[in-house]
Amino acid sequence: MTGATGTRSKPLGRTIGHVGLALTLAFAGLALGAGYWQVLRSPELTRAPDNPAVIAAARNVVRGPIVDRDGKVLASNRRNPDTGEPYRVYPHRAFSTVIGYASQDFGNAGLERSWNAELTGLSGGDAIGDLLRKFQADPYDPRKLTLGLSTALQRAAVAGLGDDRGAVVMLDPATGEVLALASTPTYDSSAIANPTTSRDAFAAVRDSAAKPLLTRATQGRYVPGSVFKIVTAIAGLGSGRITPSTTFPQQPRAERDGLLVSGFRVREHPGVPAETFDLADATEWSSNIWYALAGLRTGGDNLAAFAGRMGFGSQLAFDLPTVASQVTNGDGNEPGGFTDDVELANASYGQAETVVTPLQMALVAATVANDGALMRPHLVIATAGRDGSRSIAPEQAGVVFSPDDAAALTEAMRRAVESDIGRQFTSGADVPGIAVAGKSGTAELGGTGAPHSWFIGFAPVDQPRVAIAVIVERGGRGGARAAPLAGDLLALYFQTFGR
Amino acid sequence: MTAAAAPRLPAILGTIRPRPRGRETRLLLLVGLTILVGSVSLELAGRVTDPGESAGLSPANPTHLAIYLGLIALAHVALILSGRRVDQILLPATAMLGGISLLLMERLPQSQVVQTVGPWKLGLGDIQLAWLVLSFGLATVLAITVRNDRWLRLYKYTWAAAGVALLLATYLLGDDINGQRLSLSLGPISGQPAELLKVILVVFLAGYLSEYRPLLVEESTKVGPISLPPVPFLAPMAAMWAIALGLVVVQRDLGAALLFFTVFLFLLYAATGRLGYVVLGVLLFLAGSWVMYHLVHTVQTRVDIWLDPFASPTGDGYQIVQALYAFARGGLLGTGLGAGLPTVGGRLPIPAVHTDFPLAALGEELGMVGVMAILGLFLVVVERGLRIAASAADEFRALLAAGLALVIGTQALIIVAGNLKLIPLTGITLPFVSYGGSSLLVNGIIVGLLLALSDRGVEPPPPPRQPSRFARLTGRVTRPETPAAARAPLPPAAPLQPGGTEG
Repeated sequence: MTGATGTRSKPLGRTIGHVGLALTLAFAGLALGAGYWQVLRSPELTRAPDNPAVIAAARNVVRGPIVDRDGKVLASNRRNPDTGEPYRVYPHRAFSTVIGYASQDFGNAGLERSWNAELTGLSGGDAIGDLLRKFQADPYDPRKLTLGLSTALQRAAVAGLGDDRGAVVMLDPATGEVLALASTPTYDSSAIANPTTSRDAFAAVRDSAAKPLLTRATQGRYVPGSVFKIVTAIAGLGSGRITPSTTFPQQPRAERDGLLVSGFRVREHPGVPAETFDLADATEWSSNIWYALAGLRTGGDNLAAFAGRMGFGSQLAFDLPTVASQVTNGDGNEPGGFTDDVELANASYGQAETVVTPLQMALVAATVANDGALMRPHLVIATAGRDGSRSIAPEQAGVVFSPDDAAALTEAMRRAVESDIGRQFTSGADVPGIAVAGKSGTAELGGTGAPHSWFIGFAPVDQPRVAIAVIVERGGRGGARAAPLAGDLLALYFQTFGR
Repeated sequence: MTAAAAPRLPAILGTIRPRPRGRETRLLLLVGLTILVGSVSLELAGRVTDPGESAGLSPANPTHLAIYLGLIALAHVALILSGRRVDQILLPATAMLGGISLLLMERLPQSQVVQTVGPWKLGLGDIQLAWLVLSFGLATVLAITVRNDRWLRLYKYTWAAAGVALLLATYLLGDDINGQRLSLSLGPISGQPAELLKVILVVFLAGYLSEYRPLLVEESTKVGPISLPPVPFLAPMAAMWAIALGLVVVQRDLGAALLFFTVFLFLLYAATGRLGYVVLGVLLFLAGSWVMYHLVHTVQTRVDIWLDPFASPTGDGYQIVQALYAFARGGLLGTGLGAGLPTVGGRLPIPAVHTDFPLAALGEELGMVGVMAILGLFLVVVERGLRIAASAADEFRALLAAGLALVIGTQALIIVAGNLKLIPLTGITLPFVSYGGSSLLVNGIIVGLLLALSDRGVEPPPPPRQPSRFARLTGRVTRPETPAAARAPLPPAAPLQPGGTEG
């Protein structure tokens, strides 16, 4: 308690003035808040797919068409004779897993969902333009989307997968333009878009055990098997821990007896000679032992980091929803999140906890093909509306490793496809007259079922123009299904686009 | 209501001395013009919209607008005839807000609220118009008839007791709506007592603070750097804090709790000028909030929604996310009255838009410019109220006027900040704009009292009373000469700057 000094009070008028000032300042805060939502965040929120304005517009607006890289129509519109409302028509079923559908009753999927705002023309993407458009008679400007996809390649890829489940990704390694993005099974997206058949069609697709609505190329999570060795090679070369001529003296013995890692024995697949290999030999023979040793020398932190540079560990930025690929599930305490050296050794040749999407593996092949630089993959290459057209420029996502190392790895992958030894594993991937580089994979799933059949690669070796990833679920060895299909599609590419 | 004022006329006809109110006349003409333009915009929007997608738009009812504008004109005439020198800005400002509210309620689907009264089936716009008429009628009657404040000044504890009784009655007899127990039904009439409690609280605080102001101002206790009033006078602060927390725990009424406590702190500062009390109050508030967050599920949900509504855009966060979408669609200039709020399958995008989110609807259709204008109108109301307070004849009237104005300003602040996701959303109304009878009536009372208080020609306040025995015992025993000294600079006649703001 301190004695009071009989302080005089401030006049009420002044304190009331202070209170008024405080409230006025708080109201200024409200004004800033309104500005934040109504000006700063307005363009983004106005285009959100679940914004009722977007949904309402979708019911009445004639959506912009979608065409392939040659201008062939992939999505157009027809009018319901009863209500006059427009609905979508998709001529090729092969594109259903990419373009998706736009349905009044069941919402949108695929590109129809992710590019909805542009297709309905609700927003052109800039605040000033949106402001001015309010004064026009028809505020909607549906835009046409041009995709990088080739109808010929897409249909051939789907036909090649046939009745099997699987995925094919083809892209231009220098630009990131996706040329084919096939996932099977496909579904009848026109039937879902047509209001008279949508109910049954949607129910059938939704309840199908084959899950056709899952875009396997971007959302399928697969054990990679030996195709993952390319990631290990990139990490080893990129970190400098291995060189193209690195050999391991303990390899011959390990080929016979298995490689003992912390009490666990890494076994080779049959037929590999008991010799020391360099990078090219090991890739040619697809040696699990050499790659396990290379992975251990590279270290878990380097393996995770270089994989991360290519997109592992996070969802890839893409026109369609993607899921993250992983080197390890990351719950271990060793560098990179590995549990121990056993997991690292197994991950180095694509087993253990390693899980990938086909798109991710296509990007790995494209990185090698593009001298070690990764381009951001994209489906839409141009949009066009009343105010003219805009093309979407290639964008480099990052440099993963050096051009020299990329050249050495390219040579190793060329031998894996073209040499007599390599051909034992990748039969059918070669294209007459064109040098192809690649790597097959046979992903063991445990149990008694057939393994997943994998192939990744690119061509031509000198000046790569196309990179490819193929997976056929339960397709057997890599050389059984994936490699021949890749060879056919690469041949078709050069037949379509010239040599 | 002027109908109530009219019968008085013959009796006092001989004594009528009309006093022109030129500024109010001009401003009201502007208000009328604005509302007319708004209704034309609504009509045009109704014509160009394709009937297929206009499920959410109902055209303005010209009769409703005529009734509303006619009522405001009658109130204006009544004030002129009464000859009182009351504020000329408050009525136009609040009439504008009420007009905006009427336009919005006319524009929303009338099926939002439907009540059957006798042979009539009333929709949203009908009911809101009825409450607006009652509200402005009540304001006018109070503005003309209230000439002394004894009934408020002398019975502050009675008022406080009535307030607590009202709160208890709501708790014991109230109806549960959405997990909150806010409304009380008396036969066919139901209302939200917490609304009336706002006025009662201000009356009590004005009485208490003006009586004990000299004692509260003295530093007697120091805790660290903070000076506290004599311990016994901390009691009201503790009581207010307890009432606010009680509101949260018992009624789940976060909005009212926040409003009461904020107005209390504002008034405490206005009365004492001590920032320390406000700091202490804010600390108490933060402590209470922390405890409530961990104790009361509703509070936790509200805060979590506020932190990231986009985490569950179709679940808990749906309402606020949809409101933010509406603000965003409005942009700078808005879509135009009647051209916003896209309906999907005939449903309005924002649930409870007429009670909780009228500003989001207006923000979409009138844009950020419209939001600024509405905020400006609220600031005008607050500024007039505080000006009336600053030029009041004594402390009770000053604190009463300030408190009434702050109730409106603070309530607008809390709900608008909630709508804009600046603070967690609380379910209180936007004064004069939201749909709701209790809220409109109480706002009418507030405007009426403010108008009455603004008349400098009314009866002078009674002479200050002796401090109670309690105060003499606790605060004055050691230095009995101080009370006179403390009150000396505050003679009732001229404690404040003269106002001189009336035109």
